[in-house]
Amino acid sequence: MDDDNSNAFRRMSSRTRKVAPKMAAALGSSDNRTQAALARLEALENDNTGIEAVEMNDDDEASLDDDDQAYMQKRFKGTKRKTRQAKALENARKAPRTFLELLHEANLESLPPHVPSYLRAAVGPPSSTSRRHFCSVCGFTASYTCVTCGMRFCSCRCQNIHNDTRCMKFVA
Amino acid sequence: MSNVVVLDNGGGLIKAGQGGERDPAVVIPNCLYRPLTSKKFLHPTTTLSSTNEDLTSAAIRRPIDRGYLINPDLQRDIWSHLFTSLLHVTPSSSCLLLTEPLFSLPSIQRSTDELVFEDFGFNSLFVADSPSLVHLYESSRRPYGLVSEAQCSLVVDCGFSFTHAAPVFQNFTVNYGVKRIDLGGKALTNYLKELVSYRSVNVMDETFLMDDVKEKLCFVSLDVERDLQIARKHGKDNLFRCTYILPDGVTHTKGYVKDPEAAQRHLTLTDGAPPARAVETKKERDKLEVMEKTERKIMDLTKNEFDLTNERFLVPEMIFQPADLGMNEAGLAECIVRAVNACHPYLHPVLYQSIILTGGSTLFPRFAERLQKDLRPLVPDDYQVKITTQEDPILGVWRGGSLLASNPEFESMCVTKADYEELGSARCRRRFLH
Ligand SMILES: [Zn+2]
Ligand SMILES: [Zn+2]
Repeated sequence: MDDDNSNAFRRMSSRTRKVAPKMAAALGSSDNRTQAALARLEALENDNTGIEAVEMNDDDEASLDDDDQAYMQKRFKGTKRKTRQAKALENARKAPRTFLELLHEANLESLPPHVPSYLRAAVGPPSSTSRRHFCSVCGFTASYTCVTCGMRFCSCRCQNIHNDTRCMKFVA
Repeated sequence: MSNVVVLDNGGGLIKAGQGGERDPAVVIPNCLYRPLTSKKFLHPTTTLSSTNEDLTSAAIRRPIDRGYLINPDLQRDIWSHLFTSLLHVTPSSSCLLLTEPLFSLPSIQRSTDELVFEDFGFNSLFVADSPSLVHLYESSRRPYGLVSEAQCSLVVDCGFSFTHAAPVFQNFTVNYGVKRIDLGGKALTNYLKELVSYRSVNVMDETFLMDDVKEKLCFVSLDVERDLQIARKHGKDNLFRCTYILPDGVTHTKGYVKDPEAAQRHLTLTDGAPPARAVETKKERDKLEVMEKTERKIMDLTKNEFDLTNERFLVPEMIFQPADLGMNEAGLAECIVRAVNACHPYLHPVLYQSIILTGGSTLFPRFAERLQKDLRPLVPDDYQVKITTQEDPILGVWRGGSLLASNPEFESMCVTKADYEELGSARCRRRFLH
């Protein structure tokens, strides 16, 4: 990866930044801000998001052999397109399904209403609709919303910081 | 009676050992990981916070998604290493007591049974849910206490994948009363990653590191408004500001808190203490902003550290008010009220008096105090609210399982391999219901 191990920050950020691919996709759709908010919630369940793509494609075993390693390096360079597709297809067949897919298959909606189930155990919406908003820059109580991305800020100062460096940062 | 392996198979941690013992012999993350320096995914042999290995940007694969087992192949691999190399047990001559999350799906139960009987060949199996085991453990600790005498409690399990409020009555979990919030330790770590990455350093790939930050520095606020004020202060007046040093990969492979003593200063705050200065004048605010600006400039992004202030309490705050995040879910206090209200009114006063907190995410300082504060106004005045914290909220479930395994009647409660072969998964599972 990166040979310059003396600098943790550089080490970390040298990796390709793929913070939330779903969010990027969502932002392409019509209702940007709602979609982005939903994608952000979904991202809270992610494991090491930056390497999600690799996670889904790699082997079932505890070890990746050298071929796989080489394959992954190729993937990142974007070469050998054919091999990649073949491999992805092969892996898709044995890839584990997500819990939400399994849940959908279980068809719990068809159970009679008195039967306790995963769906009925959900706590449900809060009784009060009031929502506090915190500034995305400094964390303080925020009264303003960015019209572009829906993030919150508390003051002109934070708005400027937001506009200068952070607006759509998680999407770029 | 054969040897019983007690396995609390959590989404975050596996707790495993021999039934009858006080503590599990093995506590490891339920995952495989691949450090940057490795080509292969590796098996953890200990909790990763206690190794000196460089886990910077390590990749992680977990068999459990949202609390449920979705990747049996990966779980088989992890269990195989667990039974063979860590516990040294022979499944064919052992019985397995396995915890399973509430409301597991039939397809997941089937693949679990296949793993246990077909892949590992255990001679018998008992599947238990966490709330009843926690209840069992707590009532055995205080045989003359209310939990034990009323055979009733409300177990609040705030774990890795989700949070449950589960009424337990006559030692069984009351399924129709259970309420779930889709937030646990994993979401909290991810939220902390998001905040820090957005505000200072990109740590999106640093799950292990940010788990450590969360465990060492996050706490629950008793008064968010007040604490937000304190978190903006400068110098010594800011009781929350602290610095976390990132690993540099050379002199230290682990991150650490710069001044651990100073990081504990928030504990001096008591409930209801007003902020020293609630209202700022315009002039003071301007001055503050100038100071903050300079402070931000000083913060060099290439430095191997980051500062935390209000993130320390805004992260655990999610469990108490998920709506702040945009989640359409009630917070913990309301979750408890709904679980209690689903039970017979006769039980309400007893349940409010026997709330037991378990799960790693209840370890944040002031968790119980805050819950008491949120819950009290929602409960009828003539009912007492009493919240008990477990001595070790991470091991509580396992200890209950260990206790159950040493019960003389335990063997008769299990499903044997022969039963499974004759009846199949679904019919065997009915035996564990009550
Ligand atoms: Zn702000
Ligand atoms: Zn914006």
